[in-house]
Amino acid sequence: MAAESTPRTRRRIGRRTLGTVVAAVIGIAFAFPLLWVLTSSLRPGNDIFSYLSPLSIGSFLPIDPDGSSYVALVHSDFGRAIINSVVVSAITVVFGLLFSAMAAFGLSAVKFRGQGILFGVVVLSFLIPFDAISIPLADLFRTVHLQNTYLGLILPGIGNGLAIFLMRQFFLAVPGEIVEAARVDGLGWWGVFTRIYLPLSKPILVGAGMTLFLFQWQAYMWPLLIGTEPSKQLAPIALANMRGQFTVDFGQVFAGSLVLTVIPLVLILIFQRHYTQSLASTGSKD
Amino acid sequence: MSTREKARKPALTRIRHSPAGVALLFLAPGLLFLLVLRVAPAISAVASSLFHYSLLHDTTSFVGLDNYRTLFADSDFHHAVLVTLVFNVVINPVQIAISLALAVLLNQKLAGVRFWRALVFLPIAVPPAVSAVIWDVAFQPNGLINAFLRVIGVPAQPFLTSSDQALWSIMILCSWIGVGYWMMFLISGLQDVPASLQEAAQLDGANGWQRFWRVTFPMLRRPLAFVLVADTVSNFLVFAPVQILTNGGPENATNLVMFDIYRRAFTLGNMNLAQAEVVLLMLVTLVVVAVQFRLLRSKE
Repeated sequence: MAAESTPRTRRRIGRRTLGTVVAAVIGIAFAFPLLWVLTSSLRPGNDIFSYLSPLSIGSFLPIDPDGSSYVALVHSDFGRAIINSVVVSAITVVFGLLFSAMAAFGLSAVKFRGQGILFGVVVLSFLIPFDAISIPLADLFRTVHLQNTYLGLILPGIGNGLAIFLMRQFFLAVPGEIVEAARVDGLGWWGVFTRIYLPLSKPILVGAGMTLFLFQWQAYMWPLLIGTEPSKQLAPIALANMRGQFTVDFGQVFAGSLVLTVIPLVLILIFQRHYTQSLASTGSKD
Repeated sequence: MSTREKARKPALTRIRHSPAGVALLFLAPGLLFLLVLRVAPAISAVASSLFHYSLLHDTTSFVGLDNYRTLFADSDFHHAVLVTLVFNVVINPVQIAISLALAVLLNQKLAGVRFWRALVFLPIAVPPAVSAVIWDVAFQPNGLINAFLRVIGVPAQPFLTSSDQALWSIMILCSWIGVGYWMMFLISGLQDVPASLQEAAQLDGANGWQRFWRVTFPMLRRPLAFVLVADTVSNFLVFAPVQILTNGGPENATNLVMFDIYRRAFTLGNMNLAQAEVVLLMLVTLVVVAVQFRLLRSKE
């Protein structure tokens, strides 16, 4: 018996080692372009190309790094664009969370006739792909002169049906007895919302907050349509413009790319558990 | 107290105390945003697609379905649809197969598996415009990929500047972003499969391959259907890489529908025609989603 199980155990260990090696190779391959971005951002001007021929370890590891591209970025249009992106995304998250949580509360804390129809509107709204309706929406925004305003950049991010949907799922699990008891004790509905629901819902507030943030931070088409003036450009637009110029400073392009990536990356890593949980609940329930 | 005040007060209290009234007060701001920012533009696209604006006379006239007729007769539109179909027929199965394989691999108990999983997931943090810019430099004639190809003795490739390779190059960059994201949904689906089922199959003598296809795979139906639809919808809407890297070229080879709409609206300045194309794109995505609901309902 023992003699028989040894080769099998050995085979299993062998397979596991092979699996680990494959997983490591794939993981590194996916992360590789970002390592290259980091290294290239520490090489001023167009030096990166000279490091690519021939390929060597120095092509990917920042030997004698030079941060001048970052310094140059701060004083360029991109510096202002990053600030614009941070402001727009932050305001979107605050108001988006407030209004979405309120709407989710309205769809879950009490029962009333017609609730299903209103919930249907929420679902329909996130089935309409935003990029597809960006062009008609931008047309509407121009007629009310919202182009090149912060308000115009922020508004579409605030109405997020997915955030409402995610929070409603979570709110439905809040036990009705707690609410009853609080109501009997004389707590108003706003009190039920802010003192019972919100404190219980930190994980989903984080998850929905990330959804709102990433929507705005990663947006490209909308700010391209509505924020064309240099003072109202968001960072992805400024980056694309930087690359489209007649003489491109690749060191700065990579430094900008890294800044635009690191900010959401740090947030995702901090909130990873909540974020991936809220993702998973989108996939399994409908 | 006058009779009018008496009548008004109960009405207000009634709203504040009836469940529907309370719910509506909470729902109002969020719902208003959705109606104005999502539903209204969809309706306005439909309306606008039925009109024609004449620059010459500065008049707008109702033309019924003429814009749609024009589109269906337009060879550029045919080509955009063809490019979008080729793109989707290739990229969706490939992305899902890779995501599934990665999910199975990275759901096992391997050394450092959480770290390797995080590395695959990493590109989700990269905004589409940024990944377009990064891969643009990588695809340059003297860029990263050709540097690798040189090492293994393959001559330099034109990538984005070749009408034969540009669409494939865009598929590579879209997959780099997407695969890790879809993998996460499938991993959480795999974790919902009860371990007891696996063990029972193992006792019955099923090998690993059989266990996967007969036991695990059928249990993944829901997350797979979701990923298939969400991935398809997002690939119908690819825009930033095309606008940043190729402008639909070379020779319209990467003129995906979303870019075709943008081009019609702003380069060619025919907003009504662009709106008709928006309506068609919305219809297609809604059909894709409706099919998902059917798939998920039918077997329950």
